[in-house]
Amino acid sequence: MIEKKGVKEFLDSIGKQTILEHEAKSYLKGLGLRVPEGFFLKKGAGLLKSRPLDFPLAAKAQSRLIRSKTEARAVKLGIRNIEELESAIRELVRVEGAEGVLVEEMLPDGIETVVGGISDPQFGPVIMFGVGGFLVEALRDVAFALAPATMEQARWLISQVKGHQILKGIRGRPPVDMEAIAKALLVVSELMATELIEEIDINPLAAYPDGAVVLDAKIFVKA
Amino acid sequence: MKVLEPLFNPKNLALIGASHSEGKLGGIILKNLLKSHCCEGGRLYPVNPQWDELMGVKSYSRVEELPDEIDIAVIIRPAEEVPQILRSLSGKAKFAVLESAGFSEVGQGELQEEVKRIGREAGIRLLGPNCMGVYNPSAGLDTMFLPEARVARPAKGNIAVTTQSGAVVSAIFETLVQWKMGISKAAHYGNAADIDESDLYEYLIDDDESGVVISYIESVRDGRRFIARASALAEKKPLLILKAGKGGSGQHAALSHTGRLAGNYQVFSSILKEFNITECMDLEDLMDSAKAFSLEAKRKGKKVFILTNGGGSGVLASDECARLGLEMASLPGDARDELKKEFPSYYVIGNPFDLTAQAKDEDYGKILERVYDSYEGFAVIALSAVVGTTEGLAKTLIEFGRKGKPLVFLTGMDETGNKLAAALEKGGVACYPTPERAVRALKRLLEP
Repeated sequence: MIEKKGVKEFLDSIGKQTILEHEAKSYLKGLGLRVPEGFFLKKGAGLLKSRPLDFPLAAKAQSRLIRSKTEARAVKLGIRNIEELESAIRELVRVEGAEGVLVEEMLPDGIETVVGGISDPQFGPVIMFGVGGFLVEALRDVAFALAPATMEQARWLISQVKGHQILKGIRGRPPVDMEAIAKALLVVSELMATELIEEIDINPLAAYPDGAVVLDAKIFVKA
Repeated sequence: MKVLEPLFNPKNLALIGASHSEGKLGGIILKNLLKSHCCEGGRLYPVNPQWDELMGVKSYSRVEELPDEIDIAVIIRPAEEVPQILRSLSGKAKFAVLESAGFSEVGQGELQEEVKRIGREAGIRLLGPNCMGVYNPSAGLDTMFLPEARVARPAKGNIAVTTQSGAVVSAIFETLVQWKMGISKAAHYGNAADIDESDLYEYLIDDDESGVVISYIESVRDGRRFIARASALAEKKPLLILKAGKGGSGQHAALSHTGRLAGNYQVFSSILKEFNITECMDLEDLMDSAKAFSLEAKRKGKKVFILTNGGGSGVLASDECARLGLEMASLPGDARDELKKEFPSYYVIGNPFDLTAQAKDEDYGKILERVYDSYEGFAVIALSAVVGTTEGLAKTLIEFGRKGKPLVFLTGMDETGNKLAAALEKGGVACYPTPERAVRALKRLLEP
């Protein structure tokens, strides 16, 4: 069980209502979830050539002022070499409110899922699971459960969406690692159960046959 | 004794705002109350400042004149008078049924909070405001301001009703009267300033008269408490919930995808499922399911046998089974062979089993007996448009139903059909007007 004290210390250390992707990811990594290999480059800092990564890379501006990275053109994908990376960074630090750039290795396509948490006015902390990544709001294929949840409840939640069929493997594809998704749900449910957090989005959580990786994450602290 | 017992079985009752005129709510309520057992022998106390007697009953001019220890004070006076009336009932009344409107439902949240606070301080539990109160036919108790000439009351039965809406009360009453089915207890709690569905669930858990509970909900105040009480009740008896307010999406000035997707209804519905509590999708589903549970018991299973005398009805029933995940298992080989020998070659021997328009009443019994062990639920269709189907079929099907496996029935709407359905429901078999509704009810009775 994740302790409230530790969560509070983390949130206090940031001291803002919006926890940025790179902050959320390094925290979630510490809680045992997988995130892509990468580093955060503060605005104005030189490129970390001592931290080699495998191309292609993704670079994302980190700003508390934008709501959608895609809509704010704050994401560069498929970066093939150092020159492209340097030019991407120069461009990204100009995004409104950019505090720096998160540079990460790109991963093969997985099945995009959403793991979320919200403080519901009727039920208090609840978790959400859905399939569809950026399509999730169009497909609305999601289900909710009370937090904190048990591993069994997390597995049940995954089985409640239509996209469950896709996760089980269709057209000869192997099934994805449901236990890894359930573990992400469990982590989110325990974070929500502290009642310190208003909303969490792990979207997408890319699911693979051997694990699940947090490709993007946001946390909003309770006012 | 259960906390809410006096609310459903009061020893006496005061009506504040009583009237002699059936044109007024206070007069309709008084008329309905006069039938209550608790009010025999002068234990009904109408309060009205102008008259000494209303509808033949001694009336009191002020609350202060009322005797002490009143179980229920029904209040039907303008909203702004309610705080003062409640204060004057302090130490006198256990429950107040606030039928007055004009509180949070019209934006007067503060007035409602005031009333709630006075109730707490005075030790008076409140039902409402903006409610019609309770109906308990076994106590003859009826605080509802609907004239009986307009909304007939269902007889005593085993269906308990809790609802936040008054319109839903009358819709439920009308349906049950038409179906000749009965009510154990009904409570309309309106704005739920104090007593809400969770309190009522707790009372109904041990109420032996209530075999099934139907609950219409617009919103719950404390979701965790609601789900705990609902789960406890659902463990003891079927609880059917109809949640209104399915529209609208995210409830927040949402920052996240999760927030934009977490609509009030989406979260509510998911959590009902998580706790294995039955959600009905609309009023028809609610009433059809209530009928099923009122007459029959839930059983484990999903293998369904359909026996029909009309091909199309059988296919529609079968389609609905497929849609709901019920299994239309084929007839076992030996049963098929035997039945083939016994019945004419134009009967379609299978599942659905089609007796065609030449069906005879006795065929039904023979076939059902033969396949009983191979299936867990049965949908029987006997359209009354054909001569071979008569009221005589009722006896066979009632006996078959008594063996304990869920059985639903569909017939025609002519005189024969109506008589057949009435006899079957009296004998404990739920009947429905369409194949799909019959199968949906069967699905409710079958636990996966």
